[in-house]
Amino acid sequence: MPERKAKPPKKPAPVAGQVPQAAPAVPANGKSAPKAEKVGVYVCHCGGNISDVVDVDRVATEAAQLEGVAVARHIMFMCSDEGQKAIVDDIEALGLDRVVVAACTPTLHETTFRRAVLRGGLNQYLFLPANIREQASWAHPHSPKAATEKAIALVRAAVAKARLLEPLEMVRVAAVHRALVIGGGVAGLRAALDLARQGIGVTLIEKSPFLGGRAVQLHTVFPTEDLARPLIHRLIRQVVAQSNLKILTNTEAVELAGYVGDFRATLRTTPRGVNSELSDPTAAIAACPVEVANEFDDGLSRRRAIYQPYTGSEPDMPAIDWGACTRCGACVEAVGGRGIELTGEAVETQIEAGAIVVATGFDHYEPRDGEYGYGRSPRILTLPQVDRMLDPEGPSHGRLEIDGRVPRAVAFIHCVGSRQIEGVDEPGPDGKLHAYCSRVCCTATLQAANEVRRRYPKTEIYDLYRDIRTYQKDQEPYYVDASKRGVVFMRFANDARPTVEVADAADYPLKVTVADTLTFGTAIEVPVDLVVLSVGVMPRDIAGLIDMTKAPIGSDGFLLEVHPKLRPVESAIPGLLLAGTAQAPMDISESTSAASAAAAKVTTLLAKNYVEMEPFVAKVDPSLCDGCGLCLDACHYAGAIALQDVEVEEGVIEKRAYVNPVACKGCGACVPSCPVAALDVAGWEIEQYRAMIDAITARPLEAGARS
Amino acid sequence: MASNPADTPPTRMLVIATLLCSYPGIDATGQAHMEYPPNTFVIPTPDPVMFPESFYLYCFEKGIDGILIASCGTDSPYEGSYAQLAARINTVYARMKERGISIRRLKLTAICSVCTKAFLKEVGEMEAVLAELGPVRGEVAAVGA
Amino acid sequence: MEADVLVVGSGIAGLQAALDLADRGYSVLVVEQEASTGGKMIALSKVFPTMDCSSCITTPRMSAVAHHDNITTWTYTDVDSIAPEGGAFSAHLTRKVRYVDEGLCIGCRLCEYACPVEVPHEFEGNMGARRAAYIPFGTAIPQKALIDIDACIYCGKCEKACPTDAIVWDQEPQAVTVAARAVVLATGFETTPLDAKKEYRGGQAANVISGLDMERLLAPNGPYGRVLRPSDGKIPDSVAYVQCAGSRDETLGVPYCSRVCCMYAIKQSMLLSGSLPLADITVYYMDIRAFGKGYEQFYQTARSMGINFVKAKVARIDEEANGDLRIRVEMIEEEGKLAEPIHDLVVLSVGLRPGDDPRRFVGVDLDQYGFVASPEPKLDATLTNLPGVVAAGTALGPKDIVDSIAEASAAATRVAVYLGPPAMAPHPPDDGLGVEVRDINAGDAVAVARPEVQRA
Repeated sequence: MPERKAKPPKKPAPVAGQVPQAAPAVPANGKSAPKAEKVGVYVCHCGGNISDVVDVDRVATEAAQLEGVAVARHIMFMCSDEGQKAIVDDIEALGLDRVVVAACTPTLHETTFRRAVLRGGLNQYLFLPANIREQASWAHPHSPKAATEKAIALVRAAVAKARLLEPLEMVRVAAVHRALVIGGGVAGLRAALDLARQGIGVTLIEKSPFLGGRAVQLHTVFPTEDLARPLIHRLIRQVVAQSNLKILTNTEAVELAGYVGDFRATLRTTPRGVNSELSDPTAAIAACPVEVANEFDDGLSRRRAIYQPYTGSEPDMPAIDWGACTRCGACVEAVGGRGIELTGEAVETQIEAGAIVVATGFDHYEPRDGEYGYGRSPRILTLPQVDRMLDPEGPSHGRLEIDGRVPRAVAFIHCVGSRQIEGVDEPGPDGKLHAYCSRVCCTATLQAANEVRRRYPKTEIYDLYRDIRTYQKDQEPYYVDASKRGVVFMRFANDARPTVEVADAADYPLKVTVADTLTFGTAIEVPVDLVVLSVGVMPRDIAGLIDMTKAPIGSDGFLLEVHPKLRPVESAIPGLLLAGTAQAPMDISESTSAASAAAAKVTTLLAKNYVEMEPFVAKVDPSLCDGCGLCLDACHYAGAIALQDVEVEEGVIEKRAYVNPVACKGCGACVPSCPVAALDVAGWEIEQYRAMIDAITARPLEAGARS
Repeated sequence: MASNPADTPPTRMLVIATLLCSYPGIDATGQAHMEYPPNTFVIPTPDPVMFPESFYLYCFEKGIDGILIASCGTDSPYEGSYAQLAARINTVYARMKERGISIRRLKLTAICSVCTKAFLKEVGEMEAVLAELGPVRGEVAAVGA
Repeated sequence: MEADVLVVGSGIAGLQAALDLADRGYSVLVVEQEASTGGKMIALSKVFPTMDCSSCITTPRMSAVAHHDNITTWTYTDVDSIAPEGGAFSAHLTRKVRYVDEGLCIGCRLCEYACPVEVPHEFEGNMGARRAAYIPFGTAIPQKALIDIDACIYCGKCEKACPTDAIVWDQEPQAVTVAARAVVLATGFETTPLDAKKEYRGGQAANVISGLDMERLLAPNGPYGRVLRPSDGKIPDSVAYVQCAGSRDETLGVPYCSRVCCMYAIKQSMLLSGSLPLADITVYYMDIRAFGKGYEQFYQTARSMGINFVKAKVARIDEEANGDLRIRVEMIEEEGKLAEPIHDLVVLSVGLRPGDDPRRFVGVDLDQYGFVASPEPKLDATLTNLPGVVAAGTALGPKDIVDSIAEASAAATRVAVYLGPPAMAPHPPDDGLGVEVRDINAGDAVAVARPEVQRA
């Protein structure tokens, strides 16, 4: 076809079923590609972070003498405009073909330098970092000489690898303009609404039968003192009215496949058991003979197996708790058989989504049995329970009464299940120490304390705290107000805890003892008839989701962001965003802001009709592959490697392995399985590693220099 | 490190670190200025499962005296890779024995992204092994002779 | 000049909002009154709780904004007014006089080296010196010089030194009108004045410095390259932090907590104990508010490092003849017992107050403290009373960097929802790579729920 020669050389457009190799095919004798000859090496001072320990001038001087290095410089801040400009200018002026930057960890600035290299006109994957800050100057601050030697070796290794790098192209994937939002609390609602309003289709799934999450359990929210349910329902109404947003309650994600741009989730929806034909929910509920603890009231009340947490819930109809229901049919009978269905089966549906927002929320810390007397007296409650009691629509209709009596003296104890210290606190019921601050409990506690003082001015209040953290601009007034209202503050030390004893006394059946540091640390005994434990925020058990997504969690048990400042709402798993308290304790404002931020990342990701992914996936050298198929057995990902008929020469069709760069995760499990070494992971090739080992071991060790 | 460093022959340690787990963990160690011996070289990888047996032997031949594989363990983001890796390391051990290289020079371990203390402990232990065994060259050369 | 979005302020919140909007496809104009982008964050040493060097987190964003195809940045530009006009906004801006042609200046600094005038360097908390012809600071973006005309002695040396003839003596302020469809207010904060509490002798005693000054002393590229006390260059043996020096104080009109001072004091204490291992470091505080993710753990680490945390009220600070400082403290944990420890350097943990007053140029509602007030603080914290105008970061109240960045992204979402999809058609670059890759699974018999229930 000689006439086609006139066309500019262009990669063939990919055809369905025939995926292009992520990396351009290597030359026939793949392992002997010519080495790059014009490497630029840049050594960063990091304003002293590196140069105070590592002799950057020596590192650059040594680098300049390496084979294939065209220029080596040391610069104060490589990440600065000046540093980046040096790279761009050198590429243009000196015709560099590879760039090595010896600076901080690549997790910080790999993309920064890739972009700089790109601006200079080089393929961005021809850049390689050498980590001489975290892994040299900072790790060996008292061994400047050895740290310098190490930095030189790391630069040598980077140059050796860089010379073997080949240009790569991003793997481009068509993006599904749909997001899956997991969790129907305030963060999930906010994220779903923000996404749908920007034209991204949304499937919002909520595990429970009702929307609103934990926020609808509150009576009022600080600091605006808005009624919580009307506030949250304002948001819920907008979500429900939004056109391109599908809500599935009683639904969990049970399987997840795919990748950013094209996740496939299997959703399991448990039947509600109730439909809109139910005309008399009250009669149905009244007929139910089963009673269980009511989680909406934090166990303070009982509910039936067919239940509705509060009038006006979303959806505004009851649901059946299948774990409790005996399928006796009493409710069906009570409503004449219409509107209740006890025989439904869970339904599984599959959806595609370009991105996933995890807004699974939090749990309250459940104190250990006996922790501050918890479980030993009905007069020892948690703050969420007292909040329910103070709610006029709550189990006690807003009356704070126990055994029909308003408490005369209440002790609030802060930091229960928060700020725990090894050797002082015992691990919680989950076996873990909760070292973090739960952020919201101080203000919530003072809000409740003030409310009790307002309603019951004769009730004495003792507030046992470590530090009062009313940090928002409108939270401090709760603290000031509490002092003005006569709340007695007692402070316990970092390493001391109050104790709660159940006493015989009829008037004040509880005795709280605290070493109050505000009064010389004297042990003070406070007789009270109600103890309120300000329990912290705990990561919810989402093991199934973590297992499916492989999303990393931090040492505190919450979902981990990539970097708190550079990428605060992104998980390390591309396309997986974090919203609200699944990531860390937050109040409602902070949760909604985080959710809107997550929405910003999703829309940026899906705004184009494609998503680009790193090209670090397996590649086959077709000149070496003999089609044995051993790599297929080594690979754990469906569709990532297959054998394909290839016309090796005219009229001769043979099997050859090919890699689907989208399904391949780039782990390299296939690489060692190949008997003829035809496989490699692009960017992480064995030959490149060997070159690094050569570089590291090139020089004899100095006597006395040990590992 | 009770012995005087000058008395023992110098050695080199290679740490194979995973991008998602141990590499950030080792970064965190440096960030916290928790010190470890400088002649420790970290090479990053998506997953050590990619290295063929011959790679480890190559390292020893070239003069790497000890290798610590800081994997993700069972937290590996890649399905089934840890079991594959563990099986491969057993084969590597067999080949090391054939060549007279002490198998204590290679250790498969798991280091998470915040496991700074675990990393120091592993490096310290390998360091002690290398101080005892000395450079690998002796072993490799003995076989070659 | 027209843009989809006008972002006022180029601190970390403004930069983040601009990047999110530009990445989404909107055209953005960033306006900054200072001569460089970067706001307050670029002047910090390291940031809690990760201890990343601050410029390492800030400069990439400054650089990304400077190089983004969808972003135009005007530094050294004042906003005079932003008025709604036919569903959009008409903004009147003044591009201030640099006396340097930005297009010609190559940032070589030869003018700076030639200039004989030295004045206190405001970027360094006035501790170091800069020239009258200068680039704002080492990591400034853009790397363009300007002339401080108040300090200039008109010697003409800079003009002679300039290789591109970029010095322009008769430059005039330039009034520019810009049309924008939405506005992001990221006007940031100022710290409460060092001399707000006269009894603390801030601004009087040389060795009473602010937390921001200490940031510069600790910064790797700081004025002295090490921590010295300003009066005599002595390396301090005993450093005291006075918390809430300008926060939680009704008498100063700052009754609120400034949110960041506990954490920056803890961070600085840890850095100081690294650079001055022999020094005693004492933090006088009321409550330690380490509430963010990982912050409490950070605080406990500081305690275990031996930093002395003392719950106390500082009544006054007096300067001794040798420059040392006698602090009169009421020890809260010892029933108000008075003590008078002596320290040789005192850092006042000054608080955060509103920065540029946005009401000067746009009719947004402010709260009682002067921060921008959201009409929907719980569900939509970045909204203002004006449709199409949102706020982000410390313009809305004191906030740390993590929270400012998340909120800036939230503001970007709010603007995007308000504007509707960007005008430019998002299509892949014409590089022949195509986007059909995903169809590999076209043959799979996966039931895919495509159109979803439409709700009326």
